[in-house]
Amino acid sequence: MKVFTDNEKKEYRNIWVVAEVLSGEIQPVTHELIGAARTLADVRKSEVWVVVMGSGIEKTSELLFSYGADVAIIVDNPSLFGFIDETETKIMKRLIKKYKPEIVICGATTRGRSLIPRIAVMNYSGLTADCTGLSIDSDNGDLLQTRPAFGGNIMATIRSSNHRPQMATVRPRVMKSPEPDPSRTGRMIKEKMIPGDSTKTKNIIDIFHNTETAVNLADAQIIISGGRGMKGPEGFKLLKQFAKRVGGAAVGASRAAVDSGWIPYAHQVGQTGQTVQTKVYIACGISGQIQHLVGMQSCDLIIAIDKNSDTPMMQIADIAVVGDLFEIIPEVIKEIANL
Amino acid sequence: MLHHIRNKIYLVEVLPPKQDSEKLEKDLEKFSNKYTRVMESGYCACITDNAMGLLSFQGPEIIEELKLPVMPEQVMIHLNTFHRKDDLDNILESCKSKGIKYLLIITGDGSDRLPKLRPSDVDTTDVESVTSVELLKYINREYPDSFVLGVAFNPYEPEEHEFEKMERKIKAGATFIITQPLIEKNEVVDRLIKKYPEIPVVVEAWMSRKLYLLSEAVGYEIPENKEFDPISTLKMLHRLYPECGIYLSLLGFKTQYHLIKDTWT
Amino acid sequence: MKIVVCIKQVPATHDAKIDPETKRIIREGIKAILNPFDNYALEEGIQLRDQFGGEVIAISMGPQKAENSLREAISVGVDRAILLSDRAFGGSDTWATSYVLAKAIKKIGNVDLVICGKQAIDGDTAQVGPGIAAHLDWLQATYVMAVDEISSSSIRVKRMHEDGYDVCEIPFPAVITVVKDINIPRVPSLKGVLASKKYKIPVWKPDDIDADKSKIGLDGSPTRVVKTQPPPFRHASTKKIEGTPNDCARSLLKELRMRSII
Repeated sequence: MKVFTDNEKKEYRNIWVVAEVLSGEIQPVTHELIGAARTLADVRKSEVWVVVMGSGIEKTSELLFSYGADVAIIVDNPSLFGFIDETETKIMKRLIKKYKPEIVICGATTRGRSLIPRIAVMNYSGLTADCTGLSIDSDNGDLLQTRPAFGGNIMATIRSSNHRPQMATVRPRVMKSPEPDPSRTGRMIKEKMIPGDSTKTKNIIDIFHNTETAVNLADAQIIISGGRGMKGPEGFKLLKQFAKRVGGAAVGASRAAVDSGWIPYAHQVGQTGQTVQTKVYIACGISGQIQHLVGMQSCDLIIAIDKNSDTPMMQIADIAVVGDLFEIIPEVIKEIANL
Repeated sequence: MLHHIRNKIYLVEVLPPKQDSEKLEKDLEKFSNKYTRVMESGYCACITDNAMGLLSFQGPEIIEELKLPVMPEQVMIHLNTFHRKDDLDNILESCKSKGIKYLLIITGDGSDRLPKLRPSDVDTTDVESVTSVELLKYINREYPDSFVLGVAFNPYEPEEHEFEKMERKIKAGATFIITQPLIEKNEVVDRLIKKYPEIPVVVEAWMSRKLYLLSEAVGYEIPENKEFDPISTLKMLHRLYPECGIYLSLLGFKTQYHLIKDTWT
Repeated sequence: MKIVVCIKQVPATHDAKIDPETKRIIREGIKAILNPFDNYALEEGIQLRDQFGGEVIAISMGPQKAENSLREAISVGVDRAILLSDRAFGGSDTWATSYVLAKAIKKIGNVDLVICGKQAIDGDTAQVGPGIAAHLDWLQATYVMAVDEISSSSIRVKRMHEDGYDVCEIPFPAVITVVKDINIPRVPSLKGVLASKKYKIPVWKPDDIDADKSKIGLDGSPTRVVKTQPPPFRHASTKKIEGTPNDCARSLLKELRMRSII
């Protein structure tokens, strides 16, 4: 809604998080968002509410309080199994009208990115995607949303002063998840669906979980990543051997390598790929374009191997190995075997 | 290819207009002029295929659109592995119907807009990624006896690896080899010539003064040399590799073309 | 069937370089290109038309020079192209942009299906596709990786999710946004490009689409960019390892063992 005065803004209170539910389970991104929302709510001396829509989700919702939620709105209905964006939009529209949140944040997942633009349009709300930083104006509740733009080459700060609620999405693993406190409690509000909520014409025929094809960069402890310097698909074979030897390492790639068709998109790290926060990131032949750096620079230890020591990646690395990776990596593989 | 070497026929690279050209008509005219000039000199025009991953028009469609003549011994098309299957088949069909006989099969460079052939597109299942080897096999299978197929050799890559790949390329049906540009005697190329005495080898001569472009093209640092003179280097390559053909890359049509007439003697 | 594909001209951000002194983007020399994801939307529109008959129309909002992207759409085979260009559209955020595009789609009339690329590479928001669907109050399917079936009244698609995909069917009119897996976009042919140069692209203004002027441009946009700054850089005291390949390998492994990584 458009708001014109500070008094109108005051009608909107509390920070909402839309929970990410997959197969009846609340996903970690929701906990990360609760952490971010908690900080904002503390500045505004208001509450963190989490909206959970799904089927059979009451049990999983109880944990939300331990992460910092004050209120959980539960909309539990069999027809919410599977993802029907239109129905969830209608429910959210009704809840927003009823409770008037100041801010609504949502995970920048495929579901979140499909749902929340629809809600924002329906409510005439400002929406900022993929925020990497959120802060709040303590006086009037304006949300200052920082996000990478222009392929990660600049950071833009965005405000939506004349509209409420303000909406934002945040990608998984961008915010740190708070430590759960099992002693924390909160209120649960159960909201029923009404006949007007359902979009009966969208028919979900089948749901396939295929985690096999998913390349689990997120869960890996170590990522060994290759870029243009790998020179071809053969180069990635070498990285796979390397990863196997290190044990439990996943293979990542820069956009240049993916675009060249050397390795599937699922391996791509960066602004347009996955954001990763692993213990170790080994960048092989990656020059380090900004769009790649924003996706991996919060890894704990960054190692770069490249024959050119002047690249941005070699500059930001904790350890920079200067030399021909086609000679060095086989040596590393050999030496690991000797350990 | 032996025909070209015996008759001292230069292979002259001609770059087709880029897709994002803002003066396409003019570029087409330039292309036409260069192509015609190569034909008239009796040389062989070699048309690149999205070189360096830069989206360009295809040789056969330009020849068709501009109604350029095709003399079978005087046209060579580069063909890489970054095409949609139907585009690949169209190019091959078009080459066949126009009488374009010589194809240089390379793995090539991709980009956002250049789709990589999938193994299933060339009817293989045993590789993860299509390289020139799979493309050679495909063409030999689908178009037996239609084309003379050549492959590239990069003496700047790790040597054993490159020789191992060459062995597979030859097995897959390559009948001539074109090296990456040389600017001096190269021992790896010497070894190549010795190893395959029955296969014609064409040495590429770098005709631009800009050596940093060469570094980009081969993927290895070539030391800058202010004294670098393409024409005298070309003459030197003739002396060093008398049994080889010569491919001229980035030849200056205005500034150099008239100079090469009598260099191959 | 009448299909509209929404496309955007964007700066080729992956070519962007940063000035090492000022840490700002060097904007000079960055080309304007068709948003790469939109190639997949165009290809899908063309394939569906070829399979089912009808018409596919490309529309784009942007400055006059965005007509180059529409020309590209013509060169790969769309039937018509319309440019939405006016000073009043300038500064539109995703809310206002999706409003303008929705209004244009209404104006075109009798549209069955709208196809968008999953996102544009300059903003990476993925908000305009669902935004259009919301403004039109049509059903949507996002992150579509395959069209399984299509009839005169509905479309059945595979939607990609983080943990797999689902199959869902929605009736027309509908909006879908597509991902790279859906097809392999064709490259323009020389014939197509030469023909597209002759095509006259109509330009629509706010009045042509009955747009409410308070909902377009900067004033109609709920969000404002208040500040831009260079991205934060990780500051590391880099430890350099040099020497023979074996020396490098040994030193690297020493570092990793010191940190009990292996």
